[in-house]
Amino acid sequence: MPSKILSFTLNGRPTEVIVKPMTTLQKLLREQLGLTAAKAGCKQGGCGSCTVLVNGEPMLSCLLPAEDVEGQEVTTLEGLAHDGQLHPLQETFFEKFAIQCGYCTPGMLMVSKALLDRNPQPSRAEIVQALTGNYCRCTGYEPIVQAVAEAARRMNGHEK
Amino acid sequence: MTTQAYYLPQSLDEALDLLAEHGPTLLVIAGGTIAMPLINEGISLPEQVMGLRRAGLNYVNRSNGTLQIGAAATLSQMLAQSHIPLLQQAAQNVGAWAIRNMGTAGGNLFAPPPAGDFAVALLALDARVKLAGQAGERVLPLGEFYTGFMTTALAPGELVAEIQAPIPTGQTVYVKHGRRHANTPAVVSLAAHVTLGGKKVKAARLALNAVGPHPMRATRAEQALVGSTLDEAAIAAAAAAAADECQPFTDAIASEWYRRRMVDVVVRRALAQVQRT
Repeated sequence: MPSKILSFTLNGRPTEVIVKPMTTLQKLLREQLGLTAAKAGCKQGGCGSCTVLVNGEPMLSCLLPAEDVEGQEVTTLEGLAHDGQLHPLQETFFEKFAIQCGYCTPGMLMVSKALLDRNPQPSRAEIVQALTGNYCRCTGYEPIVQAVAEAARRMNGHEK
Repeated sequence: MTTQAYYLPQSLDEALDLLAEHGPTLLVIAGGTIAMPLINEGISLPEQVMGLRRAGLNYVNRSNGTLQIGAAATLSQMLAQSHIPLLQQAAQNVGAWAIRNMGTAGGNLFAPPPAGDFAVALLALDARVKLAGQAGERVLPLGEFYTGFMTTALAPGELVAEIQAPIPTGQTVYVKHGRRHANTPAVVSLAAHVTLGGKKVKAARLALNAVGPHPMRATRAEQALVGSTLDEAAIAAAAAAAADECQPFTDAIASEWYRRRMVDVVVRRALAQVQRT
């Protein structure tokens, strides 16, 4: 079976792995690299729980052949905190109780990060629009939307 | 059985060579949003797969009043262009952010209904499809590309290389009805291109999706509009004709009966948005 050596940047680190044909990025992350933040929810592209960023763009790792990220920059939730310091989105999700079972949280955080990287002051409608592909069956979404808005506020220099 | 090989060609020529070499055992994917769910479920078990993400087909160029869209241009790229607002609206109505970053304009031509909410706009624009094979290229109107449910005019060894969408000269409208506000499969979606001459309708193209085996024009509804002043009677006649000529189906999203009823409603909603002169 023609496995290939795949080189890409994962959470800022140059990474080389051997992948079998048609291994999804989701499977590579979870089963070969032990990074289990990206969840294997529906494997249909329907739930958003496997969302990672490829060159800063949200993508569904369950639908992405791993070989397609050759030479690209992949960011997962494991790459969000730096030197033990949580990202403001992680802080506000925690404080606003935007997490109940936690299954959707990695996807929600990655999409929210991509949103704030592009649009530091999103309106409520823009936050809701960005998150339409991420399903949460616990929170009713409201605390999540509030957490993203509060993270944006803090990242713009406002105090807690 | 697991997939034996995954090819990631770096050019259209390389992709066509691989297709010629491996023929029918090769499944072609672009964004992966249609094929990968089936592969993940074990419903599709392709021997070999070719991905088009790196084949140089993700361009969007404008020339001579036409938008040339590489088959692997993403729906996010369609949202980012501003030459044809109808295609922005259509792209916005497909999936959510991550899906639009992956799903492609060319791939949407192969999306089985109720998917295909981007392609329906291409049909309203009278777009053409450029098919490439080792023997050369041919260009077909999109209406002739579709031949049935999940069948197309694509010959063995051919790929959809490009979509050519004329920049519309008249008014365009996009209306989608789903069960939710966003990220929703269509009960019915509609794209229209209406050209007025004075107070009368000179030309009308009405395309419907999710109410037939593929995106289809409502030609009798179009005929009911041409020559009219878009008055209430003409709109009612067009809506009734569209509801009559569509071929809806029942699925988990909506019944055949409900889809037909909503065709009447979305045709009225769409035509009410056309600005009268």
